[in-house]
Amino acid sequence: MLIKLSYLLLAGLTNGSVYGLIGLSLSIIYGSSRVINFAQGEFAMLGAMCAFFFMVSASLPWPLAMLAMIVVVVLAALALDYGIYRPLVRRRAAPLTIMIGTLAGAIILYGLAFVVWGPEQKFVPPVLSLEPLRIGFLITNSQQLSLIGLFIFFLMLTWYILYRTRFGLSVRATGVNPRTALLMGIRSERIVQFSFMFSAFISGVAGMMIGPLLGGNVGMGLLLTVKGFMAAIFGGLGSPFAAAAGGLAIGMMEALMAGYGTSLYAEPSIFVFILMVLIVRPYGLLGDYEAERR
Amino acid sequence: MLNIDNIVAGYNTSVALENVSLDIPEGKIVSVVGANGAGKSTIVNAISRLVSVYSGAIRFDGKDITSMRPTQVVELGVVQVPEGRDIFPPLTVEENLRLGFHRLAGRKDAARRYEERFSYVTGLFPILRERLKQRAGTMSGGEQQMVAISRALMADPRLLMLDEPSLGLAPMIVDQIFDILARLRSDGLTILLVEQHADEALKLADYGYVMGTGKVRAKGRGEDLRTDPTLAQSYLGRMAEG
Repeated sequence: MLIKLSYLLLAGLTNGSVYGLIGLSLSIIYGSSRVINFAQGEFAMLGAMCAFFFMVSASLPWPLAMLAMIVVVVLAALALDYGIYRPLVRRRAAPLTIMIGTLAGAIILYGLAFVVWGPEQKFVPPVLSLEPLRIGFLITNSQQLSLIGLFIFFLMLTWYILYRTRFGLSVRATGVNPRTALLMGIRSERIVQFSFMFSAFISGVAGMMIGPLLGGNVGMGLLLTVKGFMAAIFGGLGSPFAAAAGGLAIGMMEALMAGYGTSLYAEPSIFVFILMVLIVRPYGLLGDYEAERR
Repeated sequence: MLNIDNIVAGYNTSVALENVSLDIPEGKIVSVVGANGAGKSTIVNAISRLVSVYSGAIRFDGKDITSMRPTQVVELGVVQVPEGRDIFPPLTVEENLRLGFHRLAGRKDAARRYEERFSYVTGLFPILRERLKQRAGTMSGGEQQMVAISRALMADPRLLMLDEPSLGLAPMIVDQIFDILARLRSDGLTILLVEQHADEALKLADYGYVMGTGKVRAKGRGEDLRTDPTLAQSYLGRMAEG
């Protein structure tokens, strides 16, 4: 009983860490630009596919492969910024229009990846070992544990940047009111650019690490975007930490429902549950930030 | 110090200012008064480079700033206290002040300058010292205006522009704010004040401009404009009494 529960919780924690990292990424971009980036999951897809490409096709050692992967996802983020976000903002497009723009970006990234890698499932090699690792009565592996570790690491890194640096203060100010931030001399375009790059970096690393556990294919981005988005609105979009917590919660619920019920009903019932929570708390479970913004 | 030379300006191809010229001499307070929609705020936002200028020029210290970015204007020390205060509500008072300091934050002597600006500002508004950790959005309107002015002063501006600082504030608070502006002038600061409360704004000002539907209708010494009966009737309306 207890053992099964612990396994389910561990699985939930692993998947939840990925959803949480995507939610965190979404919320970082939302925080500075008021835009949901529907291409966020594609960054994770690129992370996984680049891991396959650089580690298998190019047979680079993993640190180099990771570096190369980061270059690719950051370039993709810059393309999204210069190709979609900026032109639309300069034409004074509404946030909804920009979101549709990011959806177009997601489809383009998916299409390009499809051309490069084709539709097949790829074996994404693990950075760390998939060998069973025994901790008490739990059997896990270091790849799985590293995801949870990364989740905590990126959470702390984001917190540090946002709340302990001058730059982070500019990011938060831009999120509250970009026009007023401009009057302080803060260039909001730079801030948004940073948030695109930083969040692509986080999602790319998450994708690279989850690749060996989920399997990598060019279509995986959409699912991750949806899960990350659910995580963000469930926890509260206004705060990266609430969004991350939302991801953990969704991962846990998913694992528990699949373990004690059937995985067939897991997703629909989570959607319904989140919907009910949002009816009671429209700003998400932990999201008061957004509500008292103005 | 700042000189606006015959500008035509507006938002998205609509013209809000027609051939407006204006001079702000160093160390003086210049008040721009007029009814709602006369184009007063557009002047401030044209200087801050937030609205398009179609013709004419804006010069600061003789330098043409007409084609500059908003952040470059701030860099020169032309700082605005926006209409409706526009503090950052979810951020603390201290964070708001730090954001105001952004202009100087990258400099070598930043830590020393911060202390210097901070003690100057809290000398003007001692109440802020006790409220540093409070979220600015939870303060009263008057206190928020103090935060907004302090935030601008943290940048050590050379020209301070205030867009309707009295908006929505009790008369007693407005008097207090105007007293502070007089004190800032005696400390050597140059100020552009845009106000609907024409009487008080012109009383305080060295020079004044009266705006009506996008044009300068009258200019002169503040006191002269204030006591001109024809102006009070034609452009200032009931604002002159209130």
